[in-house]
Amino acid sequence: MKSEIYLDKVSLQLPIYGISSQSFKNRLMSFNSGNLSNDIDGVVVIQALKNISFSLESGDSLGLIGINGSGKSTLLRVLAGIYAPNSGVISVTGKTVPLLDIGLGLDEQLTGRQNIRLRGLLIGMSDQEIRRKTSDIVKFAELENYIDLPLRTYSTGMRVRLTFAISTAIDADIILLDEVLGVGDAAFQEKAKSRLKDLHARAQIIVHAIHDERTILESCNKVLWMEHGKVKNFGATDLVMREYRAALGL
Amino acid sequence: MISIKIKTGFIDLIESLSLWRLWTLFGWIEIRQRYARSKLGPFWLTLSMGIMVGSLSVIYATLFLQDLTTYLPMVAIGIVTWTLFSTIIGEGCIIYISSSNYIKQIKTPRLIFILQVIWKNLVIFLHNFLIIILVLAYSGVREPLWYLLFIPGLFLLVINAGWIAALTGIFSARFRDFPQIVNAFLQVSFYITPILFESKMLGKFYWIAKYNPLAHILSLVRDPLLGINPDLISWVVAFSMASVGWLFVLFFLGKYHKQIPYWV
Repeated sequence: MKSEIYLDKVSLQLPIYGISSQSFKNRLMSFNSGNLSNDIDGVVVIQALKNISFSLESGDSLGLIGINGSGKSTLLRVLAGIYAPNSGVISVTGKTVPLLDIGLGLDEQLTGRQNIRLRGLLIGMSDQEIRRKTSDIVKFAELENYIDLPLRTYSTGMRVRLTFAISTAIDADIILLDEVLGVGDAAFQEKAKSRLKDLHARAQIIVHAIHDERTILESCNKVLWMEHGKVKNFGATDLVMREYRAALGL
Repeated sequence: MISIKIKTGFIDLIESLSLWRLWTLFGWIEIRQRYARSKLGPFWLTLSMGIMVGSLSVIYATLFLQDLTTYLPMVAIGIVTWTLFSTIIGEGCIIYISSSNYIKQIKTPRLIFILQVIWKNLVIFLHNFLIIILVLAYSGVREPLWYLLFIPGLFLLVINAGWIAALTGIFSARFRDFPQIVNAFLQVSFYITPILFESKMLGKFYWIAKYNPLAHILSLVRDPLLGINPDLISWVVAFSMASVGWLFVLFFLGKYHKQIPYWV
């Protein structure tokens, strides 16, 4: 089956609860350029996404760019089906796996192997799939001698390698990534890069919120530039990136 | 409209049940986290529960002029079962808040978190069941024929706790004062439900037990283990509460399904 992502005029308002003080509310409103407004209940609402329209088809790899707070993560959550938009049409065809926080759910007391199962189940792998992939994950993470020790004994580098290895072992039609990739030492980074390429190749569509320009140019064929929750530009990578750079004054 | 909401809730329930590997694992992890590297593990809970049951029984049996051989099993089974019921609700009502990480990072059905709480507390209940066995060994077994009835009774108790947890969980996600209300309610319920006393000891206040649905639900587990056949009315009350409650929860869950990620 061909995967597909289609959004038409998708808007999303994020209600912010727990802000009762008027002054605090005012302070917040002065922070951001008109992104905050009040709704009827007096709950502060952020217009997180506004009239987002674009579509992707099988084979596309999209880089999501824009400054922090421009709505990239929110858009990823909408694509993942976590947030339902307030208006507009969204249709996502294909098994979608969000890898937004790849360390989510890891447990200190469990061994590396048990964490592989936990994390695997969490991102939607079956037990057979996990069993089949475990040895590959262990080998890639270079943890052969440590995999049956509890996670709390691991160094930071070992953890990062393990979480990266598990998450990139997934088979999915659509993969959503949020800035995952500060991975270990230089040698491992090279391995990580080729593993990501592999992941890209297995999936039909990738959406990747990302800052690193080189990675975008290397791995994305399309770029969506977001600003204040709106689409500033969408199109072929080199075209959008040229404008983006110009806007930043580079 | 109503049937669409219920259908959304029902789909969530089915999806949640099918992810049993995930919520049983989560439940285990929660238990293990608390008792990691301790020798007794979850039996620490059993031990403290046993001490509490023992001391309460001795004190209250004396105060109420009761025979310890009949009073002890009543209190032991009552408290162990009540703990299961009230902890499912107490933990269930904050589970969406404490699982907000998961709800916001991956697409999950909602009820897996409630099932996780139920599972975890059932495992703890099984550990505590040791107390019941010891107490029954001490006081002797009457009418063993009724014993097996405690299994459907336990089932009804758990699914009743489940819908209350699921419902209060949704409320608590939106209104953060709500868990306090739930806890206050649970505390009062402990005292007005026949756990430390028998309903017939209430005299002219017998109606407190008679019209207390929790008393009926609890008796479905306790009575069989005491060798008593529970009243038919208790089965009826527990069963109708469970079915109406779940229907309502599925509707409610369907109605607020999309909002929960925004709230937590």
